[in-house]
Amino acid sequence: MFQNTKCECGHQNPTGTVLCEYCGKPLVEDLPLDSPLEMRYDGVARRSQKDNPALIDRVWNFFSSVKIAVYLIVITLIGAAIGTIYPQESTFINLDDPAQYYRDTYGTWGAVYQALGFSRTYESWWFIGLLVMIGTSLVVCSLDRVLPLYKALSKQQVRKHLTFINRQQTVYKAKLEQNPEEWTESFAKQLKRKHYKVKIEGTALLAEKNRFSRWGPYINHIGLIIFLLAVLGRGVPAWHMDQYVSMDEGQTKQIPNTNYYVKNEDFTVEYYKDEELPDNLKGTARAKLYETKAVLYECTADCDDPIKEPVLTEVDRHDIQVNSPLSYKGLKLYQYNYEQRIRLITVKPMLVDSRTGEKYGPFELPMSNPPLTYTAGPYTLKLSDVYPDFGMDEQNRPMTKSRDPNNPAFVFIVTGPGLDESGEIYIYFPLPNAEDKQLQQMINASFQKSGNNSGRFSFEVGKMENVSFSEYTTYLNVRVDRAMPYIWVGAAISMIGLVMGFYWHHRRVWLRIDDGILTLGAHTNKNTFGIRSEVAGALKKTGIEVDPKALDNRRNTR
Amino acid sequence: MKRYRKPIQYVILALVILIGGYAVGRSFFTTSPVLKPGQAAPEFVLADLEGNVHDLESYKGKPLVLNFWGTFCPPCRNEMPALQHEYDKWKDKGLELVGINLSEDRISVQRFAEGVGAYFPILLDRNKKTEKKYGLKEYPTTFFITPDGEIQDIVIGGPMSEEDIDSRIRRLFGE
Repeated sequence: MFQNTKCECGHQNPTGTVLCEYCGKPLVEDLPLDSPLEMRYDGVARRSQKDNPALIDRVWNFFSSVKIAVYLIVITLIGAAIGTIYPQESTFINLDDPAQYYRDTYGTWGAVYQALGFSRTYESWWFIGLLVMIGTSLVVCSLDRVLPLYKALSKQQVRKHLTFINRQQTVYKAKLEQNPEEWTESFAKQLKRKHYKVKIEGTALLAEKNRFSRWGPYINHIGLIIFLLAVLGRGVPAWHMDQYVSMDEGQTKQIPNTNYYVKNEDFTVEYYKDEELPDNLKGTARAKLYETKAVLYECTADCDDPIKEPVLTEVDRHDIQVNSPLSYKGLKLYQYNYEQRIRLITVKPMLVDSRTGEKYGPFELPMSNPPLTYTAGPYTLKLSDVYPDFGMDEQNRPMTKSRDPNNPAFVFIVTGPGLDESGEIYIYFPLPNAEDKQLQQMINASFQKSGNNSGRFSFEVGKMENVSFSEYTTYLNVRVDRAMPYIWVGAAISMIGLVMGFYWHHRRVWLRIDDGILTLGAHTNKNTFGIRSEVAGALKKTGIEVDPKALDNRRNTR
Repeated sequence: MKRYRKPIQYVILALVILIGGYAVGRSFFTTSPVLKPGQAAPEFVLADLEGNVHDLESYKGKPLVLNFWGTFCPPCRNEMPALQHEYDKWKDKGLELVGINLSEDRISVQRFAEGVGAYFPILLDRNKKTEKKYGLKEYPTTFFITPDGEIQDIVIGGPMSEEDIDSRIRRLFGE
C-alpha cells in the first residue's frame, strides 16, 4: 500500500510515521478527529518499518513486534509453570532410570510427563530457545524504538501544528486578554519555577521536564538482557557446577572434576534442649546446629599419577554450617545432609598371648590403606587379606559384601619367637560387637583345626582411647556459579531502569498564540492528573483562572 | 547512523544465532554419561598390581576386553575362570584382556586374584574415577573394544559363559 508520508509543512517523513516529525500533524487518520493523539514514541516510525522488507528485515520485524514479545513471554511462562508440576530430574542426586522412577512415583501422568521431556523442562531445547527469542526480542524491540525516539526528542520543534496541540490529553483554548509576548514570558517563568526547561519562539512555547525517565524502560531492558545472558552463561561448563561429596569424619575426598580435595575433620549435630523449645515441640528432636569442620586442599603435584598419592596443599578452612558455606575462588561448599553411621578410622590393638597372658603392642591399624607389616613386641604381623565389609559367600568362603568399611576384618600372619617359620594365621574384627567377636573366635578356631594356628594369640583393644572412629558422615553440596555476579548486576540495572520510569514522569507543554487566541496542549506518559494541576497552577499565577478538571481533553469522549 | 543500520542488524542477528545456537545446541548434549556401543572408549591411566602404569593408548591396535570387577561381587568371581581361559586361548593371536578392579585395597585384590586363579593383567582404579568415566551401574561390566578404540559390545552383569565370551571375542577379530 502506498502511503503519502509528505506532510503539508513540507517535511518528508519515513514510512510508518504517525505524527509529522517536524510539526506534529497527524499523518494517519484512523482515530476520531477529536480524540487524543496516539503519542507512543512521539509518533515516529520504528526503525525497521520499510516499504519493501527483505528476508532479513522480515526476521527483524518479527522480533521487533511487541505483540510477538508478549506471546513469547506468555508461552515461556506456561512452559515454566508446567515444569513445576512434578520435580525436575536435575533435583535428584542419583537417578539412574528416570522413566522408571516417574512411572513408579507419579503413575501414568508421571510417565507421560517424563516421556514428553517436561521433567527436563528448563534444560530443554524449546525452553532455552524461547529464552533466546525473548532476549532477541528485547534487543530488537528496544533498538528499533529507542533510537528514533531519541532523535525525535532531541530535535523537537517549538511551534507545533494546531491539530497536534488540540488533540493532546490536556488542552486549554481561550482568547488571551493580555499582551501575547508579555504573557508568554510570565507563563514561562512560572513553568521554570516548576523545573521545566522552556524554549520560546515568538509566541510559541515548548516546556519540558524529566525527559530522562523515557529511557527507563530501555535501561530496564539492558538489565534484563544481561540477566538472560548470565542465565544462558550457566550452561558453560566452567561457569556452573553442582556436585555432592560425602565424607566420614577424618576422610579426605576429591571434589569431582576439579583439582580440589576436601576433608571432614569433624561433624557436629546439636539439638535444642527441651527447655529451649516451646511447649508444643517439647520432646521432639529439633536441630540447632549442623557443622562440618572442613579443610579445602588443592592438588599441587601427582594429581593424576596412578602410583603416587596426590600432593595436597591446604588453601582454606571453614566451619561449614547451614547458610555459612566455605567459599574459595568462586567454589562454595554448603552443608547439605548428614548420616549417623559409625565407621572406624584407626584402632590400636594389642596382641595377647593367651598362654602367658602377656600383651604386646599396641600397633596402629588404619582402616583405609593399611600398611602390610606391623610389629608387636617380638612378633611381626604380616597383613594377608582385608575384608572391609566381612561376609560369607554362597559356598561359605569369606568375602567382602561391599567396598564400604561397614564391618572390617583383617587377616594376619604372625611370626616370631616360638612360632613356626611360616607363621600362624589369625583373623581380627576391630568392631567391638558380640556377633563379630563370636565370628572371630569361630574362624580362628577353624584355622586352628586346619593347623594354620595354635590358638595361642588373640587381639584386644582395651581402652576406648585406642579407637578413633567417625560417628557421622557429612554430605556437602559443592557449587560453582560464576554467572551470579552478572545476574545481580543485570537485576540492579533493571531496577534502576524501573525506578527511573516509574517515579519520574516526562511532561511537556506546547502553546502558541494565533491572533490573540491561546492554544495550549500538554502531554505526559503517566499521571495526567498531575500535569493538569501543574498547568492550571501556572495559568492561575498568570491571571487565567481554570479548573484542572476542565483541561481534560478526554471529557468529550466519555 | 543510517549507514550502519544494515551492518548492525547483521551483527545482532549473527550474535543471536551464535549465542542462541550454542545454548540451544548444548541442550541436546546434556544426557547421562552412559556409554553405548559405537562410542570411543574413555581414556584411563591406571597402575597394575606390580605398580606399572597402563593407559588405553598402549592397547590401541589390538582387540581389548575390559572387565570391571570387585571382590565384593560374586558374579565377578564366578566369571574369572572363564575370562582367564579365554585369555589363554586368544592371547597369542593378539588379544588383550584386562581386569579393572573397582577401587579396592591392593592387598585384597592380590589375594582375590590368586584365589580365583586370575593371571591376566589387573589394574587398580582409584576413588571410582575410571568406573565413573565408563558410567558403570552394575558389576561386573565388560567392554569389548576394537583395535581402533571403539566400543563394540557392552555386557552388563554376569557371569558370562565361556562360549558367550568366545563369540564376542571372535567378533572383535572380525570373524
